Amino acid sequence: MSAGSTDTAVRTGRITRTALYLVLLLFALFYLLPFAIMVINSVKPLSEITGGNMMALPQDWTFEPWVKAWATAQIGVDPTGLKPYFWNSIKMVVPAVAISTILGALNGYVLTKWRFKYDTLIFGFMLFACFIPFQIVLIPMARILGLAGLAGSTPGLVLVHVVYGLGFTTLYFKNYYQVFPTELVRAAQIDGAGFFRIFWRLLLPSSGPIIVVSVIWQFTNIWNDFLFGASFADFDSQPMTVALNNLVQSSTGVKEYNVHFAGAILAALPTLLVYIVAGRYFVRGLMAGSVKG
Amino acid sequence: MSFLTIDNATKSYGSVEVLHRVDIDVQEGEFLVLVGPSGCGKSTLLNMIAGLEDITSGTISIKGKSMNGVHPSNRDIAMVFQSYALYPNMSVAKNITFGLEMHKVPKAERETALRDVAKLLQIEPLLDRKPGQLSGGQRQRVAMGRALVRNPDVFLFDEPLSNLDAKLRVDMRTEIKKLHQKLGTTIVYVTHDQIEAMTLSTRIAVMNGGYIQQLGTPKEIYDTPANLFVATFMGSPSMNLIPVKILEENGGLVAETTNGLGETIKLPFATPPAGLKDYVGRTITLGLRAEALTDPDGADSKAVNLVTVKSRVIVMEPAGSDTFVMTEFGGQDCNARMRADVQVAPGEDVDFTINMDKVVAFDPETEDRIV
Repeated sequence: MSAGSTDTAVRTGRITRTALYLVLLLFALFYLLPFAIMVINSVKPLSEITGGNMMALPQDWTFEPWVKAWATAQIGVDPTGLKPYFWNSIKMVVPAVAISTILGALNGYVLTKWRFKYDTLIFGFMLFACFIPFQIVLIPMARILGLAGLAGSTPGLVLVHVVYGLGFTTLYFKNYYQVFPTELVRAAQIDGAGFFRIFWRLLLPSSGPIIVVSVIWQFTNIWNDFLFGASFADFDSQPMTVALNNLVQSSTGVKEYNVHFAGAILAALPTLLVYIVAGRYFVRGLMAGSVKG
Repeated sequence: MSFLTIDNATKSYGSVEVLHRVDIDVQEGEFLVLVGPSGCGKSTLLNMIAGLEDITSGTISIKGKSMNGVHPSNRDIAMVFQSYALYPNMSVAKNITFGLEMHKVPKAERETALRDVAKLLQIEPLLDRKPGQLSGGQRQRVAMGRALVRNPDVFLFDEPLSNLDAKLRVDMRTEIKKLHQKLGTTIVYVTHDQIEAMTLSTRIAVMNGGYIQQLGTPKEIYDTPANLFVATFMGSPSMNLIPVKILEENGGLVAETTNGLGETIKLPFATPPAGLKDYVGRTITLGLRAEALTDPDGADSKAVNLVTVKSRVIVMEPAGSDTFVMTEFGGQDCNARMRADVQVAPGEDVDFTINMDKVVAFDPETEDRIV
């Protein structure tokens, strides 16, 4: 699909093409400029920022703000840097992404290949998860976490994100498996494979692109989530996003902009990395099934 | 006791009954073809035999054991699907042995079975490839290999040739027939192609609207179709249907109609069916195969009762082995199968010979054959 993209592009004249590139370049600049400023200022001493031009390149290159943001900056009451919170986030994101993706795949499999009465209705309800605003569920969710004894813990956050992510992952996998030939499932049934065997041996190995979509989507959303992290986590389970907020809020005296910039980039790096590594599958997976292969 | 018994099997989806009280007995080694237009219930019936669809009422039994509620994998059947349904993520070898693996057959045995089947179907060089790297005909072979390796009681084929191009389809048809003769297995085969049905089967079940219209050998189906549906569905070109009036003359029965020139002609029956007497004075539908309507020289020399009449040629279609000539009887277009080198031209009035031994009569209201 990616190889054919130039063939299907509409043919345009040279002038239109130049104009097109100019506009695209402008937009790229528009998006990249804030990031560039963040990077530039994160490697400057604070004095250069407060005393001079934010746009200028640093005169003294220093990685000290990065080290400080990572290891020693004041977050809340402790000078721990972002490091422990980074691991909190990892401990929350990895299981949440894995569980919601696997459950989404199972849901998609059942909803397309093991149809039952009212399955479309149930799927419709699951889709609500995609559209209900976060803040509506805050109080009921807090109550449930309390009853389950998971309040203020990483497993509690994992549960919240799995529940919230299931709607999306189910939608992805259902659409993907919709075009997976049912005859294959029937053939496997005649061959003697059971429910889970068909799933593991037949469907999952054929689900590469949509797994990537689900992982990127879930990883980005869960990593970037602030509201649930701020509402349901204790100090020892707070994710990176909440810690970043605390870093910026809890400066003692001077605002260390360079440290803040470095911290913000640190918080954004994992999602960026995931997208760079798996991004090309993302579009491919999203398009899967929309065009007959 | 037959090998595969379908007894009063009915299938409903909600309140809609799609298959009505089907009764078929299949003997061991038989090649039964279920044929009919799309939506006639033939695939549903096959899926019920396979256990992929529930039976609403009635029973299906294999070797005298009821299969109702038995899981597909425990029925000792194998199925070849229309789309082949090869597992895209597995190699050809894995595709073929997957079923054995699921049935916990030891690895050494699996290897032997795989080698035997690969040799039989001549797919040995393909074993390491993925299905995506195979041509249509090769996929077809692998799909059959997957069924054969299980050595099941009954083979089920669901329109296995409909995805192949015309030439390959004929080749694979012969191949399947050879395989059946060699292995002597019991086969139930679904198709909408009446030529496939005629050439492959030992018996045919013609289905329409969820009913078995007729169950019989290819010859019975072709020569004595049970009703107008079977008569028109089976055979290519389809049977000519001429409205005729039945008269009694000199103690015998004749069919009166008009030829392509608008003249009245009379076709005497030699051995009319017993029931035809009741239709004297009424109009019935006379069924006439294209090869029973031909030029005088091309007529079957063994036929007892030939009648030659004049009619006008409307269209002439040389088909290589035969020439199809269209004319008109009783206001209906009729196809005549003439010799390849017959000399006729459109608009010409020529002699047509009708083989009255081969005609069949239908009641135009019930559409059933008059016996």
